[in-house]
Amino acid sequence: MSDSDSDDEPVIRYGTPLDPIEEDEIPSKRKYQEPADQYAVDAHGRRRFHGAFTGGFSAGHGNKVGTPEGWTPSTFKSSRSEKAQISSQRPEDFMDDEDRGEHGIAPRHMHTQSEFSGQKRRQRRFHDGPIPGEPVLEQLLKAVHETAAVKMLRAMGWRPGQGAGDRLTRADKKKAKKQHKVYGCYMPPEMRQENEGTADESEDSSDSEFEYETLFAPDDYEPYILQRKNDRFGLGYSGLSRHSVLGNLVGEYGADAGTSRSHLVMKEKGKKVSIRGQAFGVGAFEADDEDIYAMEDMSHYDFAIGGSAQEKKKAVTQGGANVLEGFVKASKPLPSVPAYPPPALPRDYVPGAATSSRFEPPGPSVKQRDQGLGRHELSAEARGALLGEAPVPKLQEQPIPPTPQPSQTTDDLIAKITGRNVNFVSTNEKPKELDFIPVTDSNKPVAKAFRPFMSDPNKQARYERYLKDKEGFASEREADMDAVSEWERNRELVEFEQAAKLYKPLTGIMGDRFTHASEPDDINPLTVVAKSSTNYGLATPEQIDAAKRGLYGVITRNEAKWRPESLVCKRFNIPDPGGPRPDSKSDDKPKVSYSIFSYLESSVHDKDSFTKEQTKFSGSKSLLNTPKPAQSNTKSDAVKPNDPIPSTSEENPTINKRITVAELFMKESEKAMENNKPAVAVTETIEKFDRMDLYKSIFLSDSENEDETPSTKPNDNSAEDFIDKPKNVERNLSPPRGIFANIDFDELNSWRRNAKTDKEEKADNKNNSKEETAKETQNNKEDTANVYGPQIPENLMKRLENNEEKRADDSFRPIFRKKTEKEVEIHEINSSSSEDSWVEAKDVKSKKVKKKKKKHKVKHKKSKHKKKDR
Amino acid sequence: MTELTTIASLQCKQQVVRAVRFNVDGTYCLTCGADKKIKLWNPQRQLLLKTYGGHANEVLDAAGSCDSSQIVSCSVDKSVILWDVTTGQPIRRYRGHASSVTCVTYNEESSMAISGSVDNTVAFWDVISRRQEPVQVLKDAKDTITSIKVTDHEILTCSVDCHVRLYDIRVGKMISDYIGHIVTFGSMTHDGQCYVLSCADGSIKLFDKDSGELLNMFTGHECKDYMLENAVSEKDTHIISGSATGEVFYWDLISSNCTNKLVHTRNKPVVSLSHHPTENYLITACEDEIKLWGIKPAEE
Repeated sequence: MSDSDSDDEPVIRYGTPLDPIEEDEIPSKRKYQEPADQYAVDAHGRRRFHGAFTGGFSAGHGNKVGTPEGWTPSTFKSSRSEKAQISSQRPEDFMDDEDRGEHGIAPRHMHTQSEFSGQKRRQRRFHDGPIPGEPVLEQLLKAVHETAAVKMLRAMGWRPGQGAGDRLTRADKKKAKKQHKVYGCYMPPEMRQENEGTADESEDSSDSEFEYETLFAPDDYEPYILQRKNDRFGLGYSGLSRHSVLGNLVGEYGADAGTSRSHLVMKEKGKKVSIRGQAFGVGAFEADDEDIYAMEDMSHYDFAIGGSAQEKKKAVTQGGANVLEGFVKASKPLPSVPAYPPPALPRDYVPGAATSSRFEPPGPSVKQRDQGLGRHELSAEARGALLGEAPVPKLQEQPIPPTPQPSQTTDDLIAKITGRNVNFVSTNEKPKELDFIPVTDSNKPVAKAFRPFMSDPNKQARYERYLKDKEGFASEREADMDAVSEWERNRELVEFEQAAKLYKPLTGIMGDRFTHASEPDDINPLTVVAKSSTNYGLATPEQIDAAKRGLYGVITRNEAKWRPESLVCKRFNIPDPGGPRPDSKSDDKPKVSYSIFSYLESSVHDKDSFTKEQTKFSGSKSLLNTPKPAQSNTKSDAVKPNDPIPSTSEENPTINKRITVAELFMKESEKAMENNKPAVAVTETIEKFDRMDLYKSIFLSDSENEDETPSTKPNDNSAEDFIDKPKNVERNLSPPRGIFANIDFDELNSWRRNAKTDKEEKADNKNNSKEETAKETQNNKEDTANVYGPQIPENLMKRLENNEEKRADDSFRPIFRKKTEKEVEIHEINSSSSEDSWVEAKDVKSKKVKKKKKKHKVKHKKSKHKKKDR
Repeated sequence: MTELTTIASLQCKQQVVRAVRFNVDGTYCLTCGADKKIKLWNPQRQLLLKTYGGHANEVLDAAGSCDSSQIVSCSVDKSVILWDVTTGQPIRRYRGHASSVTCVTYNEESSMAISGSVDNTVAFWDVISRRQEPVQVLKDAKDTITSIKVTDHEILTCSVDCHVRLYDIRVGKMISDYIGHIVTFGSMTHDGQCYVLSCADGSIKLFDKDSGELLNMFTGHECKDYMLENAVSEKDTHIISGSATGEVFYWDLISSNCTNKLVHTRNKPVVSLSHHPTENYLITACEDEIKLWGIKPAEE
C-alpha cells in the first residue's frame, strides 16, 4: 500500500499506520509491544505473575518469597534428637496476601458456615459410588428431625395438636375462640363461621357431657397463612388440575368435592363463589358449575332421598353394635390367606428309601420302557463302548432264556463278513457285553453301529439279519415267523428300516462330504519315534541288502525333484532352476483354516487365480449347455435325473470377484475328480454343482449376472471351444456403452463361425441320448426359440431383459412363448437330452439376443467343460 | 607330520559343551553349553570374549556368520536365535520347529540360516528380512536331522532314518542315499567331491558325491551311542573324529590308516570337534573342557 495509491482514492483511514517494514527485516507476526505493557503489576506497582505462564505464584517481598531476602526452600533435616516433622505443604503456604485478597487466586473472607447460614441445606454432593446420583435409600427414608423448640415443648408436656399455654375450661376456651385477637388482615367473620360450622354443631350437641370443671389444653394456634400470589391469573384460579386431565382421580373428586384440595373451596351451604380451578370456560360468576372436564361417574349422583352422604356415614358409625367408638366396621372382609394344596405326586411314584444314588443303575422296580429305538436306554457299558473304552467284565450275567431264533448262524455269517472277532456272536449269552454290531453297508467297509434293540435280543438278532441282507430278510421272514402276525412283521420291518437309517455309521452319512486323503498326513512330529534305524519303507530290500554288503552306489541312491523356493535361490545367489513346484502348494494347505470367514473373505487377488475362477465358472455353466462327446454322455445321462433343482428356476452362474463357498466346493470337486474314477467323479461334480447353485442363489446377487452374459457370448459360437483356453482376463465384461451400445459384435462375428459349426452339429446329434424330461424340453424350447424370426432391436431387448430379471423366474419369456412351443418337436430330435436341463434362465436370455445362434454350439461348450472338469 | 600338541585348554564352565565351532576364519570359537549359553572364545589367547544368554534350554549348535557379525544358534527349546556378536543381544528368534533343533548353519553368504530339528524337518530362515516363518521347509527326512552341511549350492542333511540327502539348488534335485546306519554327522571334503559320514555303527564312511559309492571306511574309534562328529583336515588329507574313549583319531584319507591319536581326556567322549578352516588347528570339546590342538609355533 503505497501512499500514491491511497491518495488517488478517496479512502478514509482509521488509526495510525504501522511503521513501514524495512526490506531486509523479516516481518514478525507478533504485535509490537512496549516493554512496559508486557508486565502485569499489582497495586504497589510491583510486578506480578512471575512465571505465571510457567505455573508460579506472584510472590511477596518484591518477588522474593516469604522474606525480604527471598524464598528459602526448606531442607529436609532429621537427626536422632530432632526428628523431622512431617509437614504437609499446602498451596497457601506459597501465597502472599495479595493472592489471598479479594481478587487473588485464593480469596479469604469471613462467612458463616453453611450449617449456620440459615439457608436451606444445599444439595449435598454424593459420593461417586457404583450407582450414580442421589442414593435411593436416602430419598425413601427421611430422618424425622425435631427442632430444639419442639423438643423443649414436649418436655414441658406439650402434645402435638395442642396449643401452648395454661389449661382452660371449656367455657374459657370458647370465649377465647370468640375473642380471637387479630392483627392485620384476617378472614372475615362470616367466612370463618362457615369453616368451623360443622365442628361447632357437633360440639354443641355434646356440651352437656362436659359440664365438669375439666381443664383443657388451649387450642392450637393456627396461623392463617396467606398464599403469596405469584401468577397473573384471576383471583382464586388455579390452572388445570392434573387429576382430572389424566382422568385419574375423577371419581374421588366427584365423591367428595367438598373436601377436595382445589383452591377456594366453597361450601354448598355458603352458596358463594364456586371456582374450582379446572380449566378455562368456567366463569368466576357461574355459580356451582359442574366440572365439565371430569368424567361422568355414577358416584356423582345420589341414590337415596335424604341428607348428605356424610350424615349417613355418621349415623352408621354411631349405630354400629360391636364397634368401638372411633372405629369403623370394615365394609369388606379381610382377604383370606390363600392356602395351597401340597403338590400331587406323580402317578408312578414309589416311595422308598433314598439310599440309591442316581448314578447307580436303576433297580428292578423301574419298569422297562416301551420298546423304542433304544436310544435313551444307553447303559454305562454302551456309552463306554461308544467312547471306545474297554468294557468292564460283568460279574453277574443275567440269565436270558435261550431263543429259538437261528441267530447263531446269522451271527456267524456276520462275523465272517466282517472278518473280525466281534463279540456279538454270543448275543444270546451275553447280550450286554458289546452293544455294537458291524454294519455291512453294500460294499462299504464294515463299521460299528449301535444296536438299537438290545433290550430284546430276539429282535436285535432279527435286526442284524435285516441289516445283513435286506431283501432276503423280508422274504425269509414270511416263512419262519408264523407266530408273529403280519401286521407286526410289517411294523417291525419299518422299524428296522428307520433304525438302520438312524444308526447308519457315520462314515455313511458323512461319506460324501469328505474325500479320502490322497497321501498319509505328515508324520506327527510330536510323536515319539523309536530310536532305531528302521527305515519307514524308505529303503527297499535291495537297498538294505546293498548297504549291508557295502555296495553303495546306484542301488542305494534315489533321486527326486526338489524345487527350492525362489527366495532360497536368491539368497544362495543361484538362478531359480524353474520347473514345477511339486509340493509347495500342498504344504501350505494344512494352514488354511476352514472357518466360515475364510470361506467368505478369501477373494481373488491375482490375475492367475482370477482366470482360474473365470474358466471354472464358465465351465460350470457351459456344462449345462454344451453337448458332450459320446463317452461322457452316457455317464452324465445316468447322473442327470438326480438333479433336483430345475434348471428353469435357476439363475445363471455368475462370475463374481470373490471366492464364495460355492467355488470352494468346486475346488473340492475338482480334487475329488482327480482321485476318483471318472463315473463317480462326474456324479459328484454334478451334485456339487447343484449345491453350488444353491449357494449361488443364496450368496450372489442378481446384479452380478449382468456382467456374465457378454463374456460368455463370444465363446458360444467358436469352434475353438473344444480347446481349453483361458479367457481374456482383461476383457471388459461390462455391456457396451457409447457408440458401441447398439452394435451387436457377436452377431458380426458369428457368420464366420457358422460353417464350422454345422459339421459338429451332425456329430453331436448322434451322440445325444434320447432321454428327455419335461423340464429339458422346456429349456430346449427356449434355446431354439432364438432360431427363427426377425431380430429384436437391441434396445428393446435390453429393456425386456431388465424387466425379466426383476420379475420372477416364470415370467421371463413374455413374448416368445408361442414360437418356442412350435420348436419343441424339432428340438427333440436334435437336442442332447439330458444336458439341456442345465440351461438356465440367464442363458436363455442372452441367447435371445443373438437370433442366429445355433443351439448346438451350446453343446460344444458343455462338452468342453466336461473335459475341463475331469 | 609334526606332532600335534595341546596349545590351549579352556574350562568353559558350561556344564557340558555340546558343540564347539570355529568361526569363519578360525580365530575365534563358539562353545554351546548345556547351561543354555553360548560363549565366544579366542582359543589362542584363551580369552572369553562374550557370553550369549537367551536360550531356554541347552544349546545344541551354533554357527558364526561369514562376516563374524552374527551368530546363529539352536537349542532344545525349539528355537533358533540370531545373535548380534558385539552387543550379545538376540536379533531374531525363530520358532518354527516343533521340536528340539539339533543343528544349524549359515549358507556361504550368511544370508540364510538352515536348521535341522528332531521334528524331521530342515528349515531355511531368511536372516536378512524380518520374516519370522521359514522360507522353506524340507520334510523329506523321516527322522531327526542330525547335521546339516551347506556348500554354495548344496545342502547335505544327515538323518537318523539312515539317509543322507543332498539338495542341489542349482539343479533342483534331491539325492538321497541310503546308508544303512544312523548318520550322526556329515561333512564334506573341501573339494566338494566327497562326503564324510559318521555312522552309528562305529565307522566313518567316505562317499563319492556324484555316484554315491563308498570310497573308504575309517574305523577304530568307539562310537557307543554318542553323536560323534567328524572333520576333514584343511588339505583334505586326513579325516578326524572323536571317540567315546576320549581320544581323537586321525585317519589318512586315502589309506584309511589311523595316523594319529590325540588323547583329550581318557574315557570321556570327545563328541564335538571343529577343524580350523585353513590351518592345522583342531579344537575338541570333551565335557566342560575344550582343547585347541596344533603345532606349537616355532619358538626357536
